[in-house]
Amino acid sequence: MGNLVEVENLRAYYITQAYGVKRTVRAVDGISMTIREGEIYGIAGESGCGKSTLLRVLMAAHKPPLTVVEGTVKYVFGEMVVNALEMSEQEISDLRWKEISYVPQGSMHVLNPVRRIQDQFHDFISAHRQVSKRESREMTRKYLTELGLPESVLTAYPHQLSGGMRQRVTIALATILWPRLIFVDEPTTALDVVVQRGVIQLLKDVQEREGSTIVLITHDLGVHANLAERIAVLYAGQIVEEADARTILKTPRHPYTHYLIHSLPDLDERVERESIPGRPPALDNPPSGCRFHPRCPLAIEKCKNLEPQMVYLNSNHRVACHLVTEEIGLVHDAEKR
Amino acid sequence: MTLLKTYIIPRILQWALVIFIGVTLTFLIPRLSPINPVEQAVSRLTAFQTLSPEATIALRESLEDLYGLKGSLFDQYIAFWKRVLSGDLGPSFSSFPMSVNAMIANGIWWSIGLLGTAVVLSWVLGIFLGTLAGYFPNRLWTRVMESIVIVVYPVPYFIIAFTLLMLFAYYLPIFPLVGGASGTPSFSLGYFGSILRHSFLPAISVIIGATAFRFLMAKALTTSERTSDYVTYAEIAALPKRKILGVFIIRNTMLPQVTDLALSLGAIFEGALITEIVFSYPGIGSTLYNGIISADYNLIMGITLLSIIGVATASLLVDLTYPLFDPRVRLR
Ligand SMILES: Nc1ncnc2c1ncn2[C@@H]1O[C@H](COP(=O)(O)OP(=O)(O)O)[C@@H](O)[C@H]1O
Ligand code: SF4
Ligand SMILES: [Mg+2]
Repeated sequence: MGNLVEVENLRAYYITQAYGVKRTVRAVDGISMTIREGEIYGIAGESGCGKSTLLRVLMAAHKPPLTVVEGTVKYVFGEMVVNALEMSEQEISDLRWKEISYVPQGSMHVLNPVRRIQDQFHDFISAHRQVSKRESREMTRKYLTELGLPESVLTAYPHQLSGGMRQRVTIALATILWPRLIFVDEPTTALDVVVQRGVIQLLKDVQEREGSTIVLITHDLGVHANLAERIAVLYAGQIVEEADARTILKTPRHPYTHYLIHSLPDLDERVERESIPGRPPALDNPPSGCRFHPRCPLAIEKCKNLEPQMVYLNSNHRVACHLVTEEIGLVHDAEKR
Repeated sequence: MTLLKTYIIPRILQWALVIFIGVTLTFLIPRLSPINPVEQAVSRLTAFQTLSPEATIALRESLEDLYGLKGSLFDQYIAFWKRVLSGDLGPSFSSFPMSVNAMIANGIWWSIGLLGTAVVLSWVLGIFLGTLAGYFPNRLWTRVMESIVIVVYPVPYFIIAFTLLMLFAYYLPIFPLVGGASGTPSFSLGYFGSILRHSFLPAISVIIGATAFRFLMAKALTTSERTSDYVTYAEIAALPKRKILGVFIIRNTMLPQVTDLALSLGAIFEGALITEIVFSYPGIGSTLYNGIISADYNLIMGITLLSIIGVATASLLVDLTYPLFDPRVRLR
């Protein structure tokens, strides 16, 4: 499978000025990644590490104070390569929903409270397709039935639906025009476990049906374990580790990834969660050296001042941690001897 | 069925209670006033001629009878309710023998015509401008309008009214100083034009402040809608601006605005007082003013009652029709 999105050295900061004091929040700080066609690419990390910000830039929906200060985002649509950060407003509108779509964080309030579901579908469909109200209604009814949602939601108002149903309706609303690329932000947060399962299954169905590419953001590694093929772990605006899901979950190399996995609640064994000590850093003044060093139990001296470089353990697995770098170095040294 | 029991019936009972308390207060308050209308009428009649003491007593008695001031307070109260329920508000004291009903009928259409029109016009104008200002906060004309509103809004009403009156009726006599119309009432263009000319300044005086208020309210509502999750989402989905403004923003901001319009219309009779005094406009506010200075109980009570019923009924209608506008209230 070819690449669909190529991100290179992306930096996006919230630059605000209040009462003459300039504040720069470095929410995305030097991210490079490649998203492959047809995969589910997971982005993990604690709340506040820049996941939603990254998503906003990836789909060219950033607005001031969020400013891209460096880097590129490219969409590879077959022969055509689009520079996402240089598109005109019209070009962006043309891509939205037909090619690139979005299920936002906190989907509870993204539906217009005074509009019936079928009318909202019409609002969104008719913005991109020439359809009559009857045609859009028929499209909506068919699609919801295919996805296993009850027909009664068509004439309902958002407040009459449960949280899980609203989330599923929003996913349907985002995918009804069969976009190639779907960004999904925290789809299961605030839903109970049973409902979460339904939402996860729905995302699987949507992806399998058309082979869409999904970029899935959630702090919940349990959801990633269920869906993602590859996972990138974000810490303080940077990728600290990326690999296929199995590797990340079974044999992670970065100490932070380790912690993330062990803070997963284990439903079968009910073991005590091992929570990560300390809090995520403020991104207007991130720590020097390795950004994780104030919380890292394995930190060594150079972690304080020297930023670790990203190293590739194999073509699929990369990590940014001095310990890993040194270990590889040792292996190299051993080979030399 | 449950809606009827849990919502409609309690709401109607509440309305009835408000009216009951209103009627009771309307009955009591003028009777606490230091001016005694019977003594006033007697002294008016005896100012130029001397009456024998017997004649004065007889006069006093017949006046008390006429004005409903006979018997104990409780008897008066019962008699008052009887009259209210039969829709007969008694004779006016000051314009005897004209009935209060007739005096209200003379004034009410002037007030409704003037203030109803002013309230509706400022509602439409304020919402139109305020919504655009809220949706396009950085445009030059938004900032210009906002500066004007911020200056105008805090100015007390009577200053605006007197300034207009001085400028455009006195120094530059473009508009008439007093009255509602000139000439004999008829369905002619001339008479109609005269009504418009007479109502122009008082209407503008009300429209200025009311539009400023509506502008601020519409702008605040629009601003909060514009940053709501569903508008942000619609923008990311690249829905046309027209649709976002119409279906996503205005549909939502209209709910409180419709409510507020109904309440403003219900409160017209209170608003009439100052406007009509300043512009000597022949509406119900002037009638009330004259009633107050001549201690015309029946007239004061009649107009107060009308005002209470107006406000209570308007808010009842708002509550009963709100579910038609807001689906969230409908099926709870
Ligand atoms: N509008 C904003 N202005 C300034 N800082 C912001 C804004 N939105 C988010 N941030 C900051 O950017 C960082 C990343 O936020 P976000 O992308 O929402 O994280 P996540 O989605 O991972 O929880 C946080 O430190 C947050 O405080
Ligand atoms: S670089 Fe140092 S501080 Fe950072 S994760 Fe590795 S060991 Fe910990
Ligand atoms: Mg987020």
